[in-house]
Amino acid sequence: MKSLIRMLREFKMTPVKWLIANTIAWLIGFVWILPFIGIFMASIRPFEELVEGWWNFASFHPTLEKYYEALFHPYYPLWRGLINSLIITVPSTIIPVLLAAMASYAFARFSFPIKNYLFLTMLFIMAVPQQMMVIPLFFMMNSIGLLDTYLGLILIHSSWGIPWITFFLRNYFSMIPKEYEEAALVDGATYWQIFTRIVFPVSLPGIISAAVLQFAWVWNDFFFALVFLLSPEKYVATRILPSLKGEYHVDWGLLSAGSILVMLIPVLLYFALNKYYIRGFTGWALKG
Amino acid sequence: MADVRLVHVTKVFRSGKRAVVAVDDLTLDIKDKEFFVLLGPSGCGKTTTLRLIAGLEVPTKGEIYIGGELVNDIPPKDRDVAMVFQSYALYPHMKVFDNIAFPLKLRKMPKREIERRVKEVAKMLHIEHLLDRKPAELSGGERQRVALARAIVRRPKVFLMDEPLSNLDAKLRVMARAYLKRLQRELEVTTIYVTHDQVEAMTMADRIAVMNIGRLQQVGTPNELYNKPANLFVAGFIGSPPMNFVEGVLREIEGKLFFDAKYFKIPLPSDIEEILRGQAPSEEVILGVRPEDMRISLEKVPEGIRGRIYVLEPLGTRTIVNVELGPELIVKVEGPREVDLRIGQEIWLTLDYNRIHFFDKKTEKAIL
Repeated sequence: MKSLIRMLREFKMTPVKWLIANTIAWLIGFVWILPFIGIFMASIRPFEELVEGWWNFASFHPTLEKYYEALFHPYYPLWRGLINSLIITVPSTIIPVLLAAMASYAFARFSFPIKNYLFLTMLFIMAVPQQMMVIPLFFMMNSIGLLDTYLGLILIHSSWGIPWITFFLRNYFSMIPKEYEEAALVDGATYWQIFTRIVFPVSLPGIISAAVLQFAWVWNDFFFALVFLLSPEKYVATRILPSLKGEYHVDWGLLSAGSILVMLIPVLLYFALNKYYIRGFTGWALKG
Repeated sequence: MADVRLVHVTKVFRSGKRAVVAVDDLTLDIKDKEFFVLLGPSGCGKTTTLRLIAGLEVPTKGEIYIGGELVNDIPPKDRDVAMVFQSYALYPHMKVFDNIAFPLKLRKMPKREIERRVKEVAKMLHIEHLLDRKPAELSGGERQRVALARAIVRRPKVFLMDEPLSNLDAKLRVMARAYLKRLQRELEVTTIYVTHDQVEAMTMADRIAVMNIGRLQQVGTPNELYNKPANLFVAGFIGSPPMNFVEGVLREIEGKLFFDAKYFKIPLPSDIEEILRGQAPSEEVILGVRPEDMRISLEKVPEGIRGRIYVLEPLGTRTIVNVELGPELIVKVEGPREVDLRIGQEIWLTLDYNRIHFFDKKTEKAIL
């Protein structure tokens, strides 16, 4: 109660305003979370109960059967898809984050010819939609023999990620007080040492934020994976998911369980790293 | 151990079409083991000078020598100087131990030697108990000492300090001043110290260079600057409360030289008269008198300047008496301790003629 009063004072809110603001926030939150609850319910309840509506609790027999079915589907096993997704996503996160971190440090701190034009060009090209690039990319990948390979898709995701991560981290690096780097310079560090020992660890919240976003983006990608991975044994999780819907009738339970399994990985990552990326987004108060 | 020499150093900052001359033709000769202070108001170029010596800025013109070696093209890491920043710039992600050890690690020193040296320095600065903490967990005074330790641990040729005490509270600053001075004496490392605080400069320095708008005003020992300021700026910058300035003209009346301010006129002793006759390029001068070089009398004295007490500023050990000599002409005088004064009272001021200064009004240079 005391902290509530303090909060009200801090934001200069009257209790009525506070009540309205909270109601709206809860309402938005509820509307947002409702479909997830629906999918979750659909995934744990047998078909006979679901046809009555997932909100109907007249009879309630939760089961994990559909999860098992989805993971070990005879034609489209989701476990395979999840592993493929990891094979693609992990390098597609680490590679662009490391490369973009170096690029953005150069953009933030060094002066070199056409620096600003280069940066602007990068931003402009970022605006080009995937659909416009996909055909030339397809032929390119085909001609260099990287079509239908993990490496090909990893390269595409990495290069797709570099511009926006560079943009994101350049702004983050510009916020770090220059004195740290100057102190290191006088202490005897080279620029490479400054980057690896000072700038990178100090910017970890920003770098982790970028990594989490890039991870989620690559993990959730369907379009590139659809175009560039053709063999069923290489299908990623998002590509397998629609195949679970069944041929003659939609097995909502299976589809929901699959969806939740696919969603689970990025959500867990968000939870595990949330203390970093919240700091990363709000701008880490660099003290000390 | 090294001396530091700056020869005709100029630094111009350019942004677009604008150019700012931060340091203008600066020549300095800083001796080995000296505690040298760069003093001046903000924007005078003192920090830029320090950064030029550190190698964080490149001079537009001129040469910088450290230990006799031209360092213009030598990067900061190879200059063997250590710097303490105003914000301390402790690496926030490292523990105190690692902060202090960082310069040694970069030099690939053996682990055991690093540990020995860090502990030795930590002991010297009384921060042994803080080695496992992160900078964010330290108080201002502790951070300041860690920053010092990081500089000392390397045993560099030169220490560069950029207002290292300005982030401390007043009481701590006075204490830190003394230990820093003592430390410098013990380490015998050439130290260049930047500050805008003239008290800090006076109390700590072997020699002071006063700067203003990028130009060197005067170099000298604290006593020289105090007793023989080269110009109006130095005279006004050093000393607290500052020197009083009164504008006036030199006028000859019946063969004797008088200083004629608007509201009073005083005859000048013959020795001063002689110097002024020989050197004053123009009649218009500025008289400078320090508050402690005037005496207050309650009765009329010959050659005394009549005034009225405007306000009293007691400081405990002494009282600063503000005396109104005429409309908008108020001088600060160090008052007697034992005499009771009150506002509005009529008093007479006598000057200590051995300690007054005259400045040319146009050039602002000292005549006497």
